[in-house]
Amino acid sequence: MIANAFEYTAPQSLDEALGLIAGGAKPLSGGMSLIPMMKLRLAAPEHLVDLARLKELNYIREENGELHIGAAVTHYEVESSPLLLGKCPLLAETAAHIGDIQVRNMGTLGGSVAHADPASDYPAALQALEAGIVLRSAGGARTVSAKDFFIDTFTTALEPGEIVSEIVVPVEPGLTGTSYQKCKHQASGFAVVGIAVRARRENGVVSLIRVGVTGLSGSSYRAENVEAALQGVEPTGEAIRAAAGLVAHSVDASADMQASSEYRKHLASVYTAKAIHAALSRSA
Amino acid sequence: MATTVTNIEKLVGKRIRRKEDPRLITGTATYVEDIKLPGMHHAVIVRSPHGAANIKGVDISKAAALPGVAAVFTGADITGVGSVVCGADLPGLRKPVHHILAQSRVYYVGHPVAVVVATDRYIAADGADLVEVDYEVTQAVTDPEKALAEGAPAVHPEWPDNKAFVFLQKGGDMEKAFADAEVVVKQRITSQRLVPNAMETRGVVADWLQAEHSLTLFTSTQIPHLARTILAGQLGIDENRVRVVAPEVGGGFGSKLNVYAEEALMGFISRKIGKPVKWIESRRENFLVTIHGRGHVDYFEIAAKRDGTILGLKLKLIQDLGAYHQLLTPAIPTLSVLMMPGLYNFRNIDAEVIGTFTNCVPTDAYRGAGRPEATHGIERMVDLLAAELNMDPAVIRFKNFVQPDQFPFPTATGLNYDSGDYGATLQKALDTIGYDDLRKQQAAARLEGRLMGIGISTYGELCAFGPSPATPAGGWESATVRVEPSGKVTIHTGTSPHGQGQETSFAQLAADELGVSMDDIVVLHGDTSVIPYGIGTFGSRNTAVGGPALFYALQDIKEKVKKFGKMLLKSENVVFENGKCTCQVSGKEVTFQTIAGAAYRAMQLPPDTDPGLVATKFWEPSNFAFPFGAHIIVSEVDRETGQIEIKRYVAVDDIGNQLNPLLVEGQVHGGAAQGLGQALWEHGIYDDNGQLMTGEFMDYAMPRASMMPWVECSHTTTPSPVNPLGVKGVGEAGTIGSTPAMVNSVMDALMPLGIRHLDMPLTPEKVWKAINGAA
Amino acid sequence: MKIAGSAQLPFSPERTYDLMQDPVLLAKAIPGCEALQKTGDDEYSLKMKMVLASLSGAFDGKVRLTEPDRPNSFRMVVEGSGKIGFMKGDGLLRLTPKDGGTEVAYEGDAQIGGTMAAVGNRMIDMTARMLIKRFFEKLSAEPAA
Ligand SMILES: Cc1cc2nc3c(=O)[nH]c(=O)nc-3n(C[C@H](O)[C@H](O)[C@H](O)COP(=O)(O)OP(=O)(O)OC[C@H]3O[C@@H](n4cnc5c(N)ncnc54)[C@H](O)[C@@H]3O)c2cc1C
Repeated sequence: MIANAFEYTAPQSLDEALGLIAGGAKPLSGGMSLIPMMKLRLAAPEHLVDLARLKELNYIREENGELHIGAAVTHYEVESSPLLLGKCPLLAETAAHIGDIQVRNMGTLGGSVAHADPASDYPAALQALEAGIVLRSAGGARTVSAKDFFIDTFTTALEPGEIVSEIVVPVEPGLTGTSYQKCKHQASGFAVVGIAVRARRENGVVSLIRVGVTGLSGSSYRAENVEAALQGVEPTGEAIRAAAGLVAHSVDASADMQASSEYRKHLASVYTAKAIHAALSRSA
Repeated sequence: MATTVTNIEKLVGKRIRRKEDPRLITGTATYVEDIKLPGMHHAVIVRSPHGAANIKGVDISKAAALPGVAAVFTGADITGVGSVVCGADLPGLRKPVHHILAQSRVYYVGHPVAVVVATDRYIAADGADLVEVDYEVTQAVTDPEKALAEGAPAVHPEWPDNKAFVFLQKGGDMEKAFADAEVVVKQRITSQRLVPNAMETRGVVADWLQAEHSLTLFTSTQIPHLARTILAGQLGIDENRVRVVAPEVGGGFGSKLNVYAEEALMGFISRKIGKPVKWIESRRENFLVTIHGRGHVDYFEIAAKRDGTILGLKLKLIQDLGAYHQLLTPAIPTLSVLMMPGLYNFRNIDAEVIGTFTNCVPTDAYRGAGRPEATHGIERMVDLLAAELNMDPAVIRFKNFVQPDQFPFPTATGLNYDSGDYGATLQKALDTIGYDDLRKQQAAARLEGRLMGIGISTYGELCAFGPSPATPAGGWESATVRVEPSGKVTIHTGTSPHGQGQETSFAQLAADELGVSMDDIVVLHGDTSVIPYGIGTFGSRNTAVGGPALFYALQDIKEKVKKFGKMLLKSENVVFENGKCTCQVSGKEVTFQTIAGAAYRAMQLPPDTDPGLVATKFWEPSNFAFPFGAHIIVSEVDRETGQIEIKRYVAVDDIGNQLNPLLVEGQVHGGAAQGLGQALWEHGIYDDNGQLMTGEFMDYAMPRASMMPWVECSHTTTPSPVNPLGVKGVGEAGTIGSTPAMVNSVMDALMPLGIRHLDMPLTPEKVWKAINGAA
Repeated sequence: MKIAGSAQLPFSPERTYDLMQDPVLLAKAIPGCEALQKTGDDEYSLKMKMVLASLSGAFDGKVRLTEPDRPNSFRMVVEGSGKIGFMKGDGLLRLTPKDGGTEVAYEGDAQIGGTMAAVGNRMIDMTARMLIKRFFEKLSAEPAA
């Protein structure tokens, strides 16, 4: 449990950090995923650049109807931010499900998103929120939608030299209800399945629904078939159950000792129904 | 003249907070890892990644050439060092030679092959990466039943049947019991491998002093004295030139009731390089190479009358021993057999234990050691029998309990239960939880299709090891009371507490006996150069065996104090109470502190009395102590997901007299956490090649505070006649009582679906599959 | 650990079978493969480098193709070992015509040992799935004949 030797830089500015990263240095944020791998010597980066201390990545603010959250914001800060609790409770609720308090005090939003662990929690929420992920390199910045960002197991749209610098979430009218429902892995605490739902009920029917799924397969995704089944429909228990049953349709579900593919798929539909019910009950 | 003695409040029996805690919670306690010695080197061990392989070559040249590496040792270098000791003996037991570094073969993943010693731990780890071992992988076998099958790979080629021993235990007349039986229930029940996972992993600092020809070894152990005797033997050093220190020990649960290869290895290295050397086990190593617990496959048959009277119990027990014997490996399943009859009155038992080698890390004592397996077995069988007979599980237990007037009760397995009132604990638990009402609620829940369960376990346990003939290395304990000239009191206990709280409870006892403040008392332990020989901490023995040793040493001190009191008060009519000797005639007093000073100053001595105020006692009980209790768990199973929710947990334990109920509850809570861990979450799973699939916390589900229900603790008190304190033992009770209560609760919930038995751990998927299979 | 699944390839079973026996193509399709050399009948030596999240490791190993039954099935065994551990995948691949192409169903065992095994069961399953997926994606990109 002893890492190989490495160099460590705590840069003074984001530019300095991006310059080092362009030169091949590896970003370090909360270290909650990276350091364990280094201690096992499964990862041996030669140079780490510490992003977690950069003020330029440490903010939560509202601007022009959007919430902007810096990559270095910790899970605990997301969970407890009055701004997010008020205007984007889904993200705060999701953050509260991550690991334990020590992990939440150290781990960061940007680190988790960049790492793209297929069982991590945020991706489900980001999918449901249709969030934007701002990627920045020494050469500039671009924004990618959550849907396009998460590609596969630990695989994202990040190019070499790029970091996740910010998450952008549109602020929604108060009518929308959200919920994150997670089945925790009994050992790791990661999501066996995690379902984030953002939904609105107007005039007795579902007028908006977004379903983000994590843990079930190699990457988070939007369950558009579930959304389509409920859009414009009266959300009876039966309708929700039937729609939720589609969540794992044609998904290559993961398996481990905690949950076989078959059981995971079943859990996904159970938790999807739960999340839809909870989100709708909070709508309007 | 009559003297009025104002009684100082007694401390024994009070809920007093632990004296140990401030240093533990402020991070100022000293663990092995905190020890730094001048010139200290660091060792990292190269371990086999294979479950079974021949070593064709080890190339250390690159590692040895790394700057900062002081030495690299392999199996070829350790000639002259004795092998790892197994202290258990059974007729016909096969004991493989367990070298401290592998010779030509490796037998389990984690088997130590080489060790790299360097000036710092980073270099040592870099060096370990450079050691090249050429393995020829051979077929492993990790499942004990597969290991017993014809044609299975041999763990030790010299014993192709993989049997380390077969142990038989018979009592009564089994043939008659089964002939008389009106009903026989059979069930295969497993008790899975568990990883003890003490919060502090193991660690050793060894410091050889050439000029003195002496070795000091700091090690995270439960048994410093036994470790010293064994290590002195392995290393060929005089026992009085070996000092073993157990500094703060961050949990053991049996996993440190052992003397491991690394301890002798560090002693060997320090002597070779002439420098102190430190090895700290990583968490990954802790999973792979520190002993595991349990590992049973049990085939039970219970015979009974239709009225619920149990007639006899048969057991075929296959114990997964792992590749080697650690200190007590083969003895653990024999403890299971001893406790097979549980709290019940039947006299016929028939057990066969097959100790089986596998390519896994050895199993050995883990909290409860053999008794949880037995209790789980008998308590499941009693529930299965109740179900078969359509009887209430409480009623069948009352019917079969050994009755209070039957004590001392000789069991079919040759034990002699000391005292008990089993019905009283069960009744109290039933009353506390509102049993009759719960059964009504359950009936209503079932009508709604909800799966609610009520699980009872009435456990008995043998502990307080124990009379010497029944305990390897001796079953006594020692205590020294040293009253200093100022009247402050230093206690030496031969037990080696590491979380049990004897620094507090022993101080309470001594404070009461001597009439001094608890703050005037220091309890020392765990250093063989300070403490007279002791046996150590395991088997819930500290209070029940170490306590009486202390009690009698305190009586000796009191006798001597009284002699000084008589001399100083110039009267024969003197009592010693509340920290003072008082002349019952004149009313004059002399304090304990004054007497202590007088005993050392020795200006004048009572007749036939030496100066000083020190007493040492070695004390051995005549029998084990047998705590018991009733645990009841109410649970609900979610039909849709198989998830289990614990609604209530009531524990009524009878551990005899209690020195400190707060410590007792702490032990019950901690024990229950580990017992529920086995019932619901934990499982050390090896694949067929010998890889531990749950070898870190990502896969091995340790119970956490957030997963625990509140345990509603209460007790009944049946003092043990075996020792003067009337205490029994509580270190393991929670672990033993909780597991079957949990499993019985879930099985009770699933009863309407016709599901009879599921093996632990009751993971949601397992339960879900059973529900679906039943539907 | 059991690994099972299937992939759809846009070729005939014969073409699919042949592609999967072609060392040049295998070298392209095996994720991280840096070199593949024939060392015997149906046996190749393999050098691969795996980079996944922050994990990276080089492996030396071999690939064996056995039990040939063109175009229905064959067995593929991939073994590798390196500093961070070792792995072995042994699976039977069954080819059946489907929807104008071929469905390749695989079923086998994956084994992993050494430090690598410490990353957790779920990681191994997910990684194996992803590597297999990438393998078939690469193959699908080949021309139809
Ligand atoms: C015990 C434990 C339990 C956990 N449980 C959960 C859980 O339940 N749910 C969950 O979602 N997660 C869980 N995690 C993971 C945790 O949330 C991590 O904090 C997170 O995955 C990584 O964030 P980090 O800031 O720690 O990143 P780091 O570990 O510092 O970095 C992770 C990776 O991302 C890269 N990186 C970091 N920051 C950036 C950036 N801004 N741009 C580009 N690349 C970057 C690093 O180079 C590295 O490869 C758990 C972790 C632990 C240790």
